Amino acid sequence: MLEVRELTKKYGDVTAVDHISFTVQPGIITGFLGPNGAGKSTTMRMILGLDRPTSGKALVNGRSYTGSPAPMAELGALLEAKAIDKGRSARNHLRALGATVGIGSSRVDELLEVVGLTDVARKPAGAFSLGMGQRLGIASALLADPSIVMLDEPVNGLDPDGILWIRNLLRELATDGRTVFISSHLMSEMELTAEHLIVIGRGSILADMSMDEFIANASTQHVSVVSPHATDLRNLLAGPDVSVTSTAPGRLVVQGLSAAEIGDVAARHQLTLHGLVPIEASLEEAFMKLTRDAVEYRGTSEPHPSERKAA
Amino acid sequence: MPTMTLTPEAATANPAAATPAPRITIRRVITSEWIKLRSLRSTWMLVAGIVGAIVVFGLISAAVATGNVSSTDGGPSFAGSTPVATVLSGANFGVLLVAVFGVLMGAREYSSGLIRTTLAAVPARMPVLVGKLTVFTAVVLPAVLAGTLVAFFAGTAILTQSGAASASWSDPGVAGAVLGTVGYLVGIGVLGVALGMLFRGIGAGIGVLIGGILFVPTLATALLPDSWDSVLKYLPSAAGQSFTSVSASDSMLSYWGGVAVFGAWVVIAIGGTAWSLMRRDA
Repeated sequence: MLEVRELTKKYGDVTAVDHISFTVQPGIITGFLGPNGAGKSTTMRMILGLDRPTSGKALVNGRSYTGSPAPMAELGALLEAKAIDKGRSARNHLRALGATVGIGSSRVDELLEVVGLTDVARKPAGAFSLGMGQRLGIASALLADPSIVMLDEPVNGLDPDGILWIRNLLRELATDGRTVFISSHLMSEMELTAEHLIVIGRGSILADMSMDEFIANASTQHVSVVSPHATDLRNLLAGPDVSVTSTAPGRLVVQGLSAAEIGDVAARHQLTLHGLVPIEASLEEAFMKLTRDAVEYRGTSEPHPSERKAA
Repeated sequence: MPTMTLTPEAATANPAAATPAPRITIRRVITSEWIKLRSLRSTWMLVAGIVGAIVVFGLISAAVATGNVSSTDGGPSFAGSTPVATVLSGANFGVLLVAVFGVLMGAREYSSGLIRTTLAAVPARMPVLVGKLTVFTAVVLPAVLAGTLVAFFAGTAILTQSGAASASWSDPGVAGAVLGTVGYLVGIGVLGVALGMLFRGIGAGIGVLIGGILFVPTLATALLPDSWDSVLKYLPSAAGQSFTSVSASDSMLSYWGGVAVFGAWVVIAIGGTAWSLMRRDA
């Protein structure tokens, strides 16, 4: 299990990660979703002890990552796929990494087989494609058989075949009972992979819920209505759980009623409808709206309460 | 694709005979650094270059010093001020390669980004510095020692055979200067490892080291008045001269004084690097 408590990272005046807390559960794939620059990688680097948090802490299986006698056996991570020495072979790269905790060549060869790099294992890694680099990075994350696997943008650079491969691999890891934590800036990818979603924007957690919940929240139906009696209709539709907005004369956008219900109301009052179209927001839109709101909030000149206190 | 085995076979096949839980030890981190260093072709090219430079330039200098082989008109004279300086003149080239080798050892991982993988694997960080310094010394010391001894004995043999002024191992100060040269080169390399990690870049590390050991002292000696000599002799290269040459001059530190000052520079650089490594975000 991976726990983050009130984790904060400031670079001078800029707050990259702002008091975030979440828990990543074992047995499922948790997606860490946010636009570029939202703080995903910074959070992951703090979990690994690479960056020192300004405040707060991250707990890996109940203790600090750096406090473990063999951290990579608790949490295996992939941060940057191309962060390998171009002159060294994939096999020697993994051997050197495994050697720090006494893992030998047979386990290395096993992992090279798992990620499908056996044929190129002895060639200099400089010639690797981004996809091959990702596979090598995933092999290094799994090397010490960790109970938590944390991958930063693992799908980046993979071809469709590779994407399918990694989805199956991640599912298998989760089914094994491992904690699987993957970041992405693409909702479309998370939709297909993750069962739980943590959305980050501008260093703050915007959503922490199951994918099903997120979908249920996101797909609030809107109905676009076109009618010459828009004003009359608007008054008739008004209700406690209904919101009606007008985008242009004669046009309404209704939230909280189905197209059938709106049609019934119009028929009962003999109002002509020229258009009645249900519009379903995609998850991508829901995600963009969520993060855009965060950007707008943080973009105002009003200082953040915590910053005001500090100043 | 074969069936995926995500768990080590030993652990799944026979839990009773499972391998001991993985654990970081300093010995293992040193092994890891050794695998990294030996698996790069550039390592062995540099080692060959260091030995080659020390031996080849030393022998050429000795041959030129006999007068039997003359350099082209106006060409550089390799001959040193003493027979020992002549046969060890290759060290002046060797030191540049050792410096480059050391900085590469320290900074290469920062250039590729691999350092973050390394430090995530070994979050205590200090074992990584110890591992790099240990492995580097273990590779460079034998190479420099062998190259220097070959250059000395073969070079002095050439000088002796031709009847030119030569030196013998048992002459006063000779053994000290030869071994001092070995120590100076290894020390410069270690400085390179430390500066490479401190500045986190190959260019910056090489610039500071080669600038610091070659150009600054030369420039300073030329530009500053003589009264500054009492300060300048404490610079790494000036301190190095006091224990790498046979002819001591009054403007230099004593042999052991030089060793102590040079050693202090190396220790300060390692200390600063250790402090930076522990404090800064990777």
